[in-house]
Amino acid sequence: MSASLERGLNAFKEQIDAPVAAFFSSCVRCGLCAEACLFYTETDSPKYTPIHKLEPLRRVWQQEYTFWGRYAKLFGLSKPVTDEELTDWETLVYDSCTMCGRCSMVCPVGNDIAYMIRKMREGMAAAGHAPPDLIGATQRAVTIGSPMGVKLPALQAQIRHAEAELGFSIPVDVESADYMLLLSSMEIMNFPEFISAIARIFKHANVSWTISSEAFEATNSGIQIGVSEIAAELVNRIVTAAEKLRVKSVISPECGHAYMAIRWEGPNLIGRPYTFKVVHILELLDDLRAQGRLKTTGKEMQRLTYHDPCQVSRRGGVVQQPRNLMNMVAENFVEMPETGTMNWCCGAGGGVSSNERADDLRLKAFNRKKKQLDAIHPDAIVSACSNCRIHLEDGLEEYGMDMPVLSLTETIAEHLVDNERSGSEE
Amino acid sequence: MITRISNDTEFRAALDGLDPVRQRLVAARFVENVIALCADERIARVLRVAGNSEASEDELAEALKTARATTFDCHTRCGSEGDWSEQEGYFVARAATAALTPIGQMPSGPAWQAALSSRMAQTSRSIVTGDDTAGQEGTKQYRILSEFLDS
Repeated sequence: MSASLERGLNAFKEQIDAPVAAFFSSCVRCGLCAEACLFYTETDSPKYTPIHKLEPLRRVWQQEYTFWGRYAKLFGLSKPVTDEELTDWETLVYDSCTMCGRCSMVCPVGNDIAYMIRKMREGMAAAGHAPPDLIGATQRAVTIGSPMGVKLPALQAQIRHAEAELGFSIPVDVESADYMLLLSSMEIMNFPEFISAIARIFKHANVSWTISSEAFEATNSGIQIGVSEIAAELVNRIVTAAEKLRVKSVISPECGHAYMAIRWEGPNLIGRPYTFKVVHILELLDDLRAQGRLKTTGKEMQRLTYHDPCQVSRRGGVVQQPRNLMNMVAENFVEMPETGTMNWCCGAGGGVSSNERADDLRLKAFNRKKKQLDAIHPDAIVSACSNCRIHLEDGLEEYGMDMPVLSLTETIAEHLVDNERSGSEE
Repeated sequence: MITRISNDTEFRAALDGLDPVRQRLVAARFVENVIALCADERIARVLRVAGNSEASEDELAEALKTARATTFDCHTRCGSEGDWSEQEGYFVARAATAALTPIGQMPSGPAWQAALSSRMAQTSRSIVTGDDTAGQEGTKQYRILSEFLDS
């Protein structure tokens, strides 16, 4: 047995906690999870059945933690997990699963399959079976602070750009602000208009906020690849910055998995509760709306639909808030079939978009989103995740569908009452 | 009377006052001003259509499709190592896409969005070079729009 395989199998054993053991022993092999997975429904390939993607982990559980499994192992009656098998399973665990959690929703015995995939990735990474692109992203996140290599000077340049457009300054490293805004590298690199949209909304609603120059990155590659030590280190950077600035809350931006990481996994990863709250930007915007601090004027007349990012809606519970916000700015808001907590993933979450070798499969799986869109024929799609946004654009392009993809936060900003477009004098 | 636009409030108000064709034409000029930052030849072809007041609906639709495809090809994928010099081209392609997008399909208006994306291309350039000159693009756009309105 190679050292890496031994590390991986040991990691599998460590990951098999009470929920995982209960889930495996509860599985009735009904296959309902298959029909909930877009990689299965769009390929008809049984290997993409979610519970099947966990087979090596299940065998380790059986051989190590069940009476008959240990008995069989003792007498050489069971097949050990091999390095070759893990090589085969690498694409199932990383390329054909976005950890969207739709399978977990339909399991009749309540197994959280996405939770188990997250656990399995820990063993896969320990065994050296993680995709090279995700390894690169994770290394950059640790050494540079961003999976895309975004450094502070780049953020500062984007902030200066936004300030020139806005005519007022954006707060950086302000102590005792109510909110500390995190940003994903995708927003800084591909959608910097998100920064000015946030600044306009917060000025309008008189929100006390800041960005930390020491921890502005929201994403967490450690969770995607499955290395909890790295995931904890990335969470700790945010916690340290938030506590240093003594902010009351941290805002997770328009990024699905970042919200999962900082809001739900973070305290468990670092082993203690936060001294601040974590809110998704849509939760905060809806809260401002409810308080009467977010006032908009005019509505988009085109047919708009909302794509629920899985980690925000299904896994995160932020379902009604975006709908309240959509109703503020959309005259013709139409829902896709199977939306909210049962929405279909864009196909690019959970690190799949970082993984170039998964492109063909990802675009094939996008056919499920196409079917949803074909049912309602919207003029444009609104979402709240930069990764969903870029992948929706890719999928629409691939399938020859002509519709723009908009950010909900940016759309709200465009409709603010007394929208101060700019005060900059040049 | 000579038009003189000197800030973004006047700039946006003037853009909002233009009909869809003139919005597209001036947006094309904003993009032309930063076209050197985009190595993808498709954008130059697309701009010729965007800047043509006689372009047919089919030509515009085809150009928009090409601009969108180029934008996607130029973007930095989530989790991959970013290269700001490549982002220059991405934002130019985005500006061209905005210029060709029909009014009503984007909340902020195509010409304004084209102007902003062109500025972002210059911001990306400034990140590469370390020069803090990105803000000058806005001033150039005020001049381009002023001349356009006077022409």
